[in-house]
Amino acid sequence: MADLLDASLRELLDRTAAPGDPASGGVAAATACAMAAGLVTMAARSSVETWDEAAGIAAQALRLQARASELVPIAADAFAAAISALRPGEGLVRDGALGPALDAAADVPLRVCSLAADVAELASHTAAHAADDVRPDAVVAAGLATAAAYAAAHLVSVNLAVTGDDPRRQHADAATSAAREARDRAQTVEGPR
Amino acid sequence: MLEHCRAGDEVAWAQLVAQHERYVYAICTRGYSLGAADAEDVFQEAFVRTWHQLDRIPDEPALRAWLGQVTRRLCIDRLRALKRTRPEADAGMDQPAPGDQLGDIERALDVHAALAGLCDEHREVLDRFFCQDHSYAQISVDLDIAMGTVASRISRGLAGLREHVDADG
Repeated sequence: MADLLDASLRELLDRTAAPGDPASGGVAAATACAMAAGLVTMAARSSVETWDEAAGIAAQALRLQARASELVPIAADAFAAAISALRPGEGLVRDGALGPALDAAADVPLRVCSLAADVAELASHTAAHAADDVRPDAVVAAGLATAAAYAAAHLVSVNLAVTGDDPRRQHADAATSAAREARDRAQTVEGPR
Repeated sequence: MLEHCRAGDEVAWAQLVAQHERYVYAICTRGYSLGAADAEDVFQEAFVRTWHQLDRIPDEPALRAWLGQVTRRLCIDRLRALKRTRPEADAGMDQPAPGDQLGDIERALDVHAALAGLCDEHREVLDRFFCQDHSYAQISVDLDIAMGTVASRISRGLAGLREHVDADG
């Protein structure tokens, strides 16, 4: 699944649309998070003339994008392992692999959720200070990151449904709320000054 | 410091070693993937040879390049010797580390030294975000700073780091 990072956009879209691929939701969430971070990087880099912090913000956005990109193939592998463990007669009975597999499958979207909240926060901060022509991109980034957070939080809930209450679900909810607040702030930033 | 070393000043020599030991060790372990024992041997030999040839090193800026060159040669010799005694060793290890890889090591050490020159506030936040991959929320809670100011503090820390790295050349 590591080849996902090297796939063309066409290939990635085709795989997302392919039936039976269990990793689609998690991969899509991580990819959206990475794309949002990329938009923040672009907006910050485009604002270095007018914003003292721009270079530092771009460096942070790049780091967040790298973290999200690393999770794309990991998300695919974790979900594949969980699906395998859920097959009747295998894993679940043979070696008790279900619990660890679902734990891993929940952990990955939780990491995506947390990352997405950070990207949304950074996007909101960038929207408030970026150059006029790239401010809309920062606002888009905040929206995209928030969508990624919601998607990842849903996957956390789905994967933890079998194991019952878990503090990770609360963590995901908190991250989603933070992302939403950041997005709302970004959307209220004034237009061109 | 170099003059004092040439005069036999052991304190100055200890300072010189301390200043460059991470660089030499990084070449051995990260540049040429030597094991701990072999890296230690090369490390010792590199500084012994440098001690005996201090008169050939014109000044302190030249010292780092000198040490790098000596260390690289010793690493290559060690790898060749290992290959003779352990033929199953990876043939790729017989090749010198690419120049850009050693350049990365030097830059990493420069950044590490520059980090030490930052104020605690900036060093802490840079370490948490870039080295430990902490989230903004975790940094906010752990350092008791407002969520909305974490990114700004990191940016200021990076600016300070850049000043230190640029000042050191």
